[in-house]
Amino acid sequence: VLQILKRYRDLLAVAGLLVVPLAVYVAHARHPGERTTFDRAIVRLARPVERAVGALLAGAMEAWDGTVGLRGAHERARELAARVDGLELDRVELAEVRRENERLRGLLGFAARSLDRPWVGARVVGVRLDPKGLQLLTVDRGADDGLARMMPVVASGGVVGRVHAVFGGSAEVLALTDRNSSIAVRVDRTRTRANVRGAGDPSLCRLDHALRVDDVVEGDLVVTSGTDGVFPRGLPVGRVQGLRKGGQGLYQRADVAPAVDVTRVEEVLVLLSAREGAAASRLDAP
Amino acid sequence: VSARRAIAAALLALALAGAQSAALRLAGGGRWPLALPVVVVIWLGLEADLVEGAAGAAAVGWILDALAGGPVGLLASLAVAVFLLARRARGALALQGAPGFAAQAAAGTFLLGLGAVLLTRAAAAPGSAPPLAILRRVALEAALTGLAAAPLHAPLRWLGRRLEREPEAAWPGGLS
Repeated sequence: VLQILKRYRDLLAVAGLLVVPLAVYVAHARHPGERTTFDRAIVRLARPVERAVGALLAGAMEAWDGTVGLRGAHERARELAARVDGLELDRVELAEVRRENERLRGLLGFAARSLDRPWVGARVVGVRLDPKGLQLLTVDRGADDGLARMMPVVASGGVVGRVHAVFGGSAEVLALTDRNSSIAVRVDRTRTRANVRGAGDPSLCRLDHALRVDDVVEGDLVVTSGTDGVFPRGLPVGRVQGLRKGGQGLYQRADVAPAVDVTRVEEVLVLLSAREGAAASRLDAP
Repeated sequence: VSARRAIAAALLALALAGAQSAALRLAGGGRWPLALPVVVVIWLGLEADLVEGAAGAAAVGWILDALAGGPVGLLASLAVAVFLLARRARGALALQGAPGFAAQAAAGTFLLGLGAVLLTRAAAAPGSAPPLAILRRVALEAALTGLAAAPLHAPLRWLGRRLEREPEAAWPGGLS
């Protein structure tokens, strides 16, 4: 028997390795229990390898994402940058629209509050405040919209000027700061009469024909008197500053800071006079 | 009989099982089945002596059992059976190089899975028996394991040479 065992020991060992585990399995197959200490040790041995390989693979994937995938990231970054630029442009446009809306609201409020004549809203599309020539603003409304020469042009702050020339779809406005502009005014506080004449400087006008004896002080609001046949009465023109009363002469001299900054005005109202406007339109239209 | 291959096989199976677990978690979250330790059983079948290889295969199978968390013994026994088949095939089939090794690994994985399903159905409680439809996944596991076995061929062959006690018999005749 010993010789037989010796002769077939390899086969018996293999048969044992084949059958014993199977028997163990069959014995426990219907009643599986917890892992044995030995089996738990095997699992514990596998865990460090699992963690190490996991960390290695994760690192490799991160490296892949950070290097090879960087090209895609650059393209994505460019796309996002372009999108941010577009959004920034939209934001600026929205802010602009909001400011414009506020200006238009002010203009409409001014029209409803102060004007008893029909009017046409217009947008300033060109500015030529040439110190050597006329100080003109170009608006996008013209004879086709009922505009005519000499029609007053106002903004929510006050007087801007008057229509100087009209074309089919546009018109030129002579700013109140032009040297050729003269507006009949009153000092709002004392009702003193005078004229405001342009000085060729967009930020300055002159107060003309204010008698030396009249009560005028710096800071007085000057409004249209309505006596020049162009502007209706009561529209703000500017504020008195740089008052100079000489020792002699009939008039006192002063500067007037325009109520409307003609360099910044963007929307205006043109006050219509139906009969005169129609006649002027026929004459001035190209 | 040397135990070096058996010990090396057990350690290798542990390493491959850990690597497989980590890799499958990162690649698909376990969607793809894989049985890399079975590749070690095939390697034993190609290189090891009978008892040494059977012992190594049993160790690998036991590791698979322990990691699977079910009743132990089933995969240990089946791994020994797969080893014996691989050992039998190394002389009968003219499979060479990495493709041959991959084909044997795929076949071994499928046989291991098939045996496990059938024996579990026979031995386990009726409610816990796996359906035969799971054989599709076993086939997928076999195919993927075969694919993964091809790049392992060269390192395992190098390891076999290092463990070889007799340099003149570096690789079994049918596959060299």
